[in-house]
Amino acid sequence: MPLDTSTYNLALLRVDGRRWNELRQQKGQLGVQPSADGSAYLEMGNTKIQCIISGPNERDLSKSTSSASTAPTSNGAGATVAVSIMIAPFATVDRKRRGRNDKRLQEMQTTIASGLAATVQGQSYGPRSTIHISLNVLSQDGSLLACLINAASLALVDAGVPMTDYLVACTAGSTSSYAAADEEADPLLDLNTQEEQELPFLTLATLGATDKVVAMVCESRVQLTRLEGMMATAADGCKGVRDFLDGVVRDKGELMVQEGAIGRGEVVSSMDLD
Amino acid sequence: MPITILQPSLAPPPKLRNVDSDSDSEGGADLEGDVAMGRPAKRARTQDSSIMTPGEIITDDPQWMRGHGTYIIPGASSNTILSSVAGTLAKTNKLLSVRPLRARYTPEIGDLVVGRIVEVQAKRWRVDVGGTLLAQLPLSAINLPGGIQRRRTETDELQIRTFFSEGELLVAEVQQLYNDGAAVLHTRSLKYGKLRNGVFMSVTGTGGGGGVVRARRQAFTLDISGTDEVSGSEKIDVLLGVNGYIWISKHIEGEGAAAETSGPGITRIEESVGLNVYSSQNDIIPVDTMREIARVRGVITALVENGLRVDEEMVIKGYAEAVEMAKEERDSADTLWLGGERGKRLANALVGR
Repeated sequence: MPLDTSTYNLALLRVDGRRWNELRQQKGQLGVQPSADGSAYLEMGNTKIQCIISGPNERDLSKSTSSASTAPTSNGAGATVAVSIMIAPFATVDRKRRGRNDKRLQEMQTTIASGLAATVQGQSYGPRSTIHISLNVLSQDGSLLACLINAASLALVDAGVPMTDYLVACTAGSTSSYAAADEEADPLLDLNTQEEQELPFLTLATLGATDKVVAMVCESRVQLTRLEGMMATAADGCKGVRDFLDGVVRDKGELMVQEGAIGRGEVVSSMDLD
Repeated sequence: MPITILQPSLAPPPKLRNVDSDSDSEGGADLEGDVAMGRPAKRARTQDSSIMTPGEIITDDPQWMRGHGTYIIPGASSNTILSSVAGTLAKTNKLLSVRPLRARYTPEIGDLVVGRIVEVQAKRWRVDVGGTLLAQLPLSAINLPGGIQRRRTETDELQIRTFFSEGELLVAEVQQLYNDGAAVLHTRSLKYGKLRNGVFMSVTGTGGGGGVVRARRQAFTLDISGTDEVSGSEKIDVLLGVNGYIWISKHIEGEGAAAETSGPGITRIEESVGLNVYSSQNDIIPVDTMREIARVRGVITALVENGLRVDEEMVIKGYAEAVEMAKEERDSADTLWLGGERGKRLANALVGR
């Protein structure tokens, strides 16, 4: 379905009523699967992901179809991160079943695995242990890779795996297509499926709220002059996503402190030093 | 089981995060030139909670030392300590560490663990204790049947499956740790060894809303003669492995981990290590005992579901409460099930809510 992008210039509102720099509504939950080592549920607009983590533990990878990546550490190899993505047949508007070795899925798995392996501090586990990340796409409406990365990041926090920071991702697009050759096109933040089909876009993953880019994927043709604006927009979107994920984790932690499940933490202040 | 329909309860009101959503708010991105570059921004801790999250700066005071759950940026000359997990801060003198909200079990020397044999190798077993790596149990770290003290020979190696084989459960103690955190176990005490006559259950490991906590006593005996249906003085052994694996079994006089106080010393070990310590055959368990074992299991599940800690005190109190609840509802068919509303009632009674 072609998207009528001409209306954007009239009201500066996108098809779903957002402005250029607005993220979609997000919803997150930790510990949705009590029997797993870590789990999370994340919604970004209508993209809904459930992530289950098992591990770090010592199992062989030979049987699974997941893509694995080993965390590089200063003293030899660290823990391995293995990612497998499952897209439910009912996730898209047209019901379809995907094969196990879908090339696009495999590429996403590899991107996520290598991105997370660089973020996880795997040296505390040793080279024989593996963190299995299983991502289930329940509903798909654009920014899939970004949403998968964010969900995995949230679940890793729930699993108590040490990380340098949250790995957060966001997409950014441009208001006109490549063919329009419009050098002045505005960037757009957090695209949905309709926009993704029409407009050039990229997915950018950063380390927390810093501008350190961990992964960037751009599969569409776009003028080089527009790229910088898109990247800056995506990086800013990542900050918003990080704040959101951080809030989810804090709420959960505070709830647990309130319920007495964990002891109250101490506070570092300069007064303690004597 | 009859179907019960729970009355729906109101969802908690959503938390408003960005209250300042005026028309002027700039949404998620800001392109007006000031994209912050360089070091991670010092995020002001908006909420006055003591929860640390990954990437959060704990302190930049050089007097503190970093412990578990924290890191410093490698190569940087500053002494900024950042958190690497989500959890609460703990201070030990000048050492800062962050206790994660939830994490897998990390073995420590002296821990009592319940484990399952995963792999049998030539001179050792590999045991799943719920940690990040499999633990190992060397052939030399077990008691031989009859308590004979001698070197392990090739004959023992060939017969390794007569002691433990794949899938069998055992209780052991962590004797030693490797650098990568892998544990070496031993069962050289009457308290430890193969498990039978009971039921296994696993709860989430350390931290994370309940779970088994390290306590003075991990193994104890419950008296179930309080329930009037049980004739005689039957007892149940409860073994709370620090790793979150739990074993609940029929008590046999002079056996099991709870017999530690009355058992003989190491000098008389030959007389007490029976020839059947490696038996995989269950004894006959009376139906009453089975039911009470199931009740204890239900109590522990209820404790975990309601985020309470699992230790000797809570299990004993919870069991007594569950027996009371069962007596009140004598007419109902199923008094063993302690999930949902019943579990909540039990938990509330325990913490006095």
